[in-house]
Amino acid sequence: MDETTGFVLEEEKDTTGAKLGMWLFLLSEILLFGGLFILYSAYRYKNPVDFHHASRELEVILGTLNTLILLTSSLTMAVSISAIQKGQRKLSIYLLMATMAFGLLFLVNKGIEWGAKIDHGIYPNSPILLSRPKGEVLFFGLYYVITGLHGLHVLVGVCVLSVMLILLLKEKINPAYFVPLENSGLYWHLVDIIWIFLYPLFYLIT
Amino acid sequence: MKPEEEIRKARYKTYVLVWMTLVILTGMTLSAAGMELGRWTVLIALSIAGTKSGLVLNYFMHLKSERLLIFKVIIPLVLAVFLVFIILTFSDVAFR
Repeated sequence: MDETTGFVLEEEKDTTGAKLGMWLFLLSEILLFGGLFILYSAYRYKNPVDFHHASRELEVILGTLNTLILLTSSLTMAVSISAIQKGQRKLSIYLLMATMAFGLLFLVNKGIEWGAKIDHGIYPNSPILLSRPKGEVLFFGLYYVITGLHGLHVLVGVCVLSVMLILLLKEKINPAYFVPLENSGLYWHLVDIIWIFLYPLFYLIT
Repeated sequence: MKPEEEIRKARYKTYVLVWMTLVILTGMTLSAAGMELGRWTVLIALSIAGTKSGLVLNYFMHLKSERLLIFKVIIPLVLAVFLVFIILTFSDVAFR
């Protein structure tokens, strides 16, 4: 790339602007989930025993599996971006598809998990749940709201990535222009980070 | 090619190493939760989660190789705001 031409410099500036915009959005996401985390901590502080009992009912194996799935999807996402930068278009496409598949797998697991809980009569405002101690009601309320909101983010992520896949196939995203893919990657990694915190807070309370 | 472009085209090997570390840290969280560590449990779980996030932010999200100052301060700034929220909330919850 030639540094003396103004065109290239302008393009670089634009790239930085797009990335900065994405980061500002991600920071607002951190505070959105952060607020829910504070709510969780305050209730857990008030009801430590109930939270412990309720947490024991969650499937640790499914939670761990989903953690590994999201971590691996972050790897495929990062390498996919790196691949298009290096001009390895096919590798980039396959890894992006793998990332989306991992995202969908995560949602399937989440669905199985929620389904099993709902079958046992544990869902917000259910008669069985309301007969339980107050702290357990709060725990499951938070569980459904926070993992639900996170699941929604994964779903949105998969939709965004499918748009990126189309752009990649049409070569609108190419080794010379890949900011949209990079920014989608940033979003995907943030959703992973949020799950990194959700996992011990919901599944591993001792 | 400019040096910063070299950095941005990070090696695949680095990504795989970071991923392996993340998997190992997940295993550590899981096994730590099985131990009876009392009040240390939350602290250990959160510090492992914090370490994992740091790895994702620095390597997968390339914060480590960003040159502009704004990208360096943006996360600490938000964490500081978040800390203020936590302190305000808990000074209410704990002394009510």
